[in-house]
Amino acid sequence: MGKAPNNMSGLFEKLHDLKSLFKYGEKIVPIIQSLVDFMQDTVPLLENINHSIADSTAKIPAASNQINNVTSATELATTEILDLVDALSMNFDKVETKVNLAKQKDIEKAALLEELQKEIKKNSKASELLSKYMEMKDSEAALNFVGDLLPKFKDDTYHITLSLQVQDITAQQLAAVNHLIDSVQERLSSLIQDIDSTEIKELTVGKIQAPDGVAFDPNAKYSKSKDLQNMADVIVNNANTSNNNNNKASQDEIDKLFS
Amino acid sequence: MALKFLVVDDSVTMRRIVSNSLKNLGYDNLVEAVDGKDALAKLAADENINFVITDWNMPILSGLELTKAIRGDEKLGAVPILMVTTRGVKEDILEALQAKVNNYIVKPFTPQILKEKIDQILANN
Repeated sequence: MGKAPNNMSGLFEKLHDLKSLFKYGEKIVPIIQSLVDFMQDTVPLLENINHSIADSTAKIPAASNQINNVTSATELATTEILDLVDALSMNFDKVETKVNLAKQKDIEKAALLEELQKEIKKNSKASELLSKYMEMKDSEAALNFVGDLLPKFKDDTYHITLSLQVQDITAQQLAAVNHLIDSVQERLSSLIQDIDSTEIKELTVGKIQAPDGVAFDPNAKYSKSKDLQNMADVIVNNANTSNNNNNKASQDEIDKLFS
Repeated sequence: MALKFLVVDDSVTMRRIVSNSLKNLGYDNLVEAVDGKDALAKLAADENINFVITDWNMPILSGLELTKAIRGDEKLGAVPILMVTTRGVKEDILEALQAKVNNYIVKPFTPQILKEKIDQILANN
């Protein structure tokens, strides 16, 4: 019998706790309700984000392919320019040969004319006409003018060729961008699949088709500055000197050269 | 002995530019390879090749791997190698030297630099 009051008191305590819980529940229910409302509003938003990411990801292969197309097109165009420059150079060589030949012929003609002048001295009219002809003969100057310009033309066309190195360098830069795009696509695909375990169709059909065996320098740049070549020269010279002294250059020694 | 160059680059543009530059310098005797593996095949097939000009970044077998392969070969080991590459970082140049390239050119190159490096290599060999 002695336990009955204890049990009752325990019961009242539990009821009190329960009452507190209900009171707390009354307070928390609106919060939970607003949380549910928020979730209901948010889920479509998350779905939208998910679909947007999926759409964007699906478009990445197109961008990547476009970059590959640009690389192929510039390589083709560069080859065409190189073909034209080669043809120009060959034509310049032919013109140069002809000009030199014509100059040689002019020297021979001049000698013949001098001989002729001596022969027709007695014929004053013929001598006068020949003198006039020789005064009017300006092909030598023209040939010299063209002959002097030809090496410059050849040099200029060769420099066009050298400038086309930019194609190789930009191709490497574009390959680096493609590699970056590929990495972004992989990350986004992984993110989408984490959010939605079902595989998104576009991601499987739109996989980036990177060209086989592309090798590139991500830091490739087209610069006319001689700084990099000068640095290479210093390192090579230093290495050669060290090798000659049978003493390998340390990294510190090399670093000192550039400090 | 007459010089015969092997120009190795995966870029058709660069192969033509280097080859044209060599021809402008009076070196008409040359062959081309599209990567390191192709270069090794060309070297094995033609004993007259006695100067290699190679790019670094190439598929299948890079210029650095090609250099190591040549240096590790009893017959080819002494062939001069000139590296012509976009890689202008100090560590890269050191790595190439450790692989025993004879000289190093950073792209874009000028004909003067190409001539200077070829002359230097020939003078030292």
